[in-house]
Amino acid sequence: MNPAAIAVQEVSFAYEEAAVLEGISFRVEEGDYFVIIGPNGSGKTTLLKLLCGLLKPRAGSIRLFGAPLSRRRRKALARLAALVPQAASAEAPFRVEEFVLLGRAPHQGLLGLETPEDLAIAREAMAFTGTAHLASRRLDRLSGGERQRVLIARAVCQRPRILLLDEPTAYLDLAHQAQIMDLMEALRAERGVTVVLVSHDVNLAAMYASRMLLLAAGRILAAGPPGEVIAKGPLEAAYGCPLAVETTPGGVPRVSLVPNGRRPAGRPPPGVREVRP
Amino acid sequence: MRGRLRPALLPLALGLLVLLGAGKPEAGERRVVFDQLGRRLEVPADPRRVVALAESVTEIVFAVGRGERLVGTTRFADHPPEALRIPRVGTYIQLDIERIAALRPELCIGTRDGNPRAAVERLEALGIPVYVTHPMGLSAMLASIREIGRLLNAEGRAEELAGDLERRIARVAARAQAQGRRPRVFFQIGVDPVVSAGRGTFLHELIETAGGENAAGEAEGYPQYGAEHLVRLAPEVVVITTMTQGADFEAVRRAWGRFPNIPAVRDGRVHVVDAAVFNRPAPRLVDGLETLARLVHPAAASP
Amino acid sequence: MRTPLPIARILRVKALLLPVFAAALLAGLAWGSGGGGPGALWRSIAGLPLEDSVLADIFWKIRLPRVLLAALTGAVLSLGGLVFQALLRNPLAEPYILGISGGAAIGAILGILAGLPRFPWGSLAAFAGAMGTVGLLALFSSWRTGLGKDALLLSGVMINAFCGAVILFLISVTSDVRLFNILSWLMGDLSLAAMEQVALLAAVTAVSAAALFFLSHGMNLILLGRDTALSLGVRLEALTWVLLAVTSLMVGVSVSLCGLLGFVGLVMPHLMRLLFGPDHRVLVPACVLGGGAYMIFCDLLARILPRQGEMPVGVVTALIGAPAFIFLLRRAAR
Repeated sequence: MNPAAIAVQEVSFAYEEAAVLEGISFRVEEGDYFVIIGPNGSGKTTLLKLLCGLLKPRAGSIRLFGAPLSRRRRKALARLAALVPQAASAEAPFRVEEFVLLGRAPHQGLLGLETPEDLAIAREAMAFTGTAHLASRRLDRLSGGERQRVLIARAVCQRPRILLLDEPTAYLDLAHQAQIMDLMEALRAERGVTVVLVSHDVNLAAMYASRMLLLAAGRILAAGPPGEVIAKGPLEAAYGCPLAVETTPGGVPRVSLVPNGRRPAGRPPPGVREVRP
Repeated sequence: MRGRLRPALLPLALGLLVLLGAGKPEAGERRVVFDQLGRRLEVPADPRRVVALAESVTEIVFAVGRGERLVGTTRFADHPPEALRIPRVGTYIQLDIERIAALRPELCIGTRDGNPRAAVERLEALGIPVYVTHPMGLSAMLASIREIGRLLNAEGRAEELAGDLERRIARVAARAQAQGRRPRVFFQIGVDPVVSAGRGTFLHELIETAGGENAAGEAEGYPQYGAEHLVRLAPEVVVITTMTQGADFEAVRRAWGRFPNIPAVRDGRVHVVDAAVFNRPAPRLVDGLETLARLVHPAAASP
Repeated sequence: MRTPLPIARILRVKALLLPVFAAALLAGLAWGSGGGGPGALWRSIAGLPLEDSVLADIFWKIRLPRVLLAALTGAVLSLGGLVFQALLRNPLAEPYILGISGGAAIGAILGILAGLPRFPWGSLAAFAGAMGTVGLLALFSSWRTGLGKDALLLSGVMINAFCGAVILFLISVTSDVRLFNILSWLMGDLSLAAMEQVALLAAVTAVSAAALFFLSHGMNLILLGRDTALSLGVRLEALTWVLLAVTSLMVGVSVSLCGLLGFVGLVMPHLMRLLFGPDHRVLVPACVLGGGAYMIFCDLLARILPRQGEMPVGVVTALIGAPAFIFLLRRAAR
């Protein structure tokens, strides 16, 4: 059996005294489109940081392609896994082109002198993400969607086998949300990149994910294909409010809010259309 | 008789000149001296181009009659008035090495208190000997007058001057001894804050020689005083001098007037004196001493 | 869309700035309170005899060390500003903000009060003071305060404030002529430059600048933020401390020789960034040449502007630097 892209075993983490994650175990297979969902404060972002080595677990182990994360040197790890942070946090005085080129750092020497190969890879990453026309624009003059795609372009330059994204569709409008999620799918399908992303948008995740993980209060409440995770029981337990789950004609599960808790579960009142989240 | 002498006078005069001339050292000759810090220096035997690195040195050089040899002096050299025409080379704390070098001096005369050691070293690195005086007290000042006289081949004049100053100092000291008591004297050199001179300073020595007791005598250096402390010191004589130009001395006198219980204020013995005379370890310091003596013991009039 | 390789860009920047630097150097040698002028300087360089023979001494023994010291100090302070602006990701950072200057000042003042000659013991004392504050910084920021990158900045500001208070205290208890020496040193004083000092600073600067050049790509990556830099493979802790150590060494030595000179470290990196972009591989050599030329220029003004004597260089750098900075701010805002 091929080693899993990511194998997490009994991982716990705490900031100071407050425990954030407890006894987390799961696997991500190579080529998965893996989405982690859960309410705020469930530990999703912390988990993502653990997966790319920014934080060290208090207990348990994380293996990437069979080798323990902690044994890998930083640069080698950077060639394996790339992190795309939220667009809002990108604040650097660079132009898009320079910025994307910085993604080649894990493959370069001390001075980061760009070879023609580096330039080609960067150009190609920008073409792939549809940001080629932004090359000489300044990073801080871009819109949210444009910046998110530039961040992805930079991560693509790292030529990672695993791509980790932290809420890439937050603050984006619907069209751009779809665009980003499609981009991830293209990366996965065309280049075999394993995509792990954290999202607050459950339905969007359900539309793209091959496997999902539901986190709440630092523990896993459900894991598996979307149909198993997007279920009334685990979701209501995670979010602590009444929800309605149904399946679209395409077979994708969809959850919706129930506006006031006194409705019988599973039945919308007559004449009332569903509320989209 | 006069007729026969006159033709003899000329060769006699010439002979004397030759004798005198033979005694004078040639320009270009050098000799070894030790300055007042004990440093061994090689200086020209008869330096014609001299730069004074402090105002007090300028005054002494003029006093021994060699003012015309000064080619550079520090900014505030204003005594005697001829000194004003001499080119300036910065202040004694911030010397302009370039300007000094451009004047091509054969000798510089400086003072330990104020001239930065690094500046002296820079000048010596350029091949310019620097004689450093260290006039720590009245007797050391007299010694520096004699030394400068020797450096500039004016021993006679220097000895005359030093001797005269010594006699005047002795007279003041004797008169002071003859008085019964020593009034407490507060010598104010700073206006805001009030600063006086304690032990180990020139002013302290002046006060004591003039027959007073330095009210700031328990401190060393230049202590600061708040109003409370001044009232407790209760000086009998207050002498005010300040280095700042344009300070309103009358305002300072009035400030003292706020405390009528201080003996000096009560008896109207708050005096203002000229700072330049007391600041510089030069011959005028003895003028200051005599002034101070008169203020401290007005009853003992000078003959 | 072509990106010129960084080497080409670096060479272009050098080609632009080297003439500026050379011009500043020659101007600094030609003019001053002892006279001279470009004609005499040219003759002296060409080996021709001068009518005023003392000018040779003035050009080469007095002005040359001073101009070189100015250039080195300008380079050091500009590089220091560049590094701290990157490390702290704060455009207001400069070497003094972390208290390194405060520590150096205390060391230097204690040396003056103890009667030590300025070079080498006074300089050593100042350097020891600077390293002391770096040690304190290391200690404070090793405590887990949860302040993130601001921990370093805040510790530095506090140390600086404390040093300022100590300096005022030392000044207040100094009641003799050493006070003037202290104040003149505090305001920045290049007037007593000598070749030994220049040699020391040149050696330190050369080594430090080379090290910083090799770490310049790392500085680019630091600008991306802690998480991104780490995820790109940067060994952030090690890089931070090496940058801090190299810069503190260089700034400590410079401050100990020349006193406190403000604004250079603040303004120069921004100016260079405005002209040449944010890539540190280009900015490191730019700051060396640009900072050096600027300081030579300020020193020249300090020497020739006043009718009598000279102004403290620190005053000139501030008087020019402050309006320059405001001008830069306005341009950046547009």
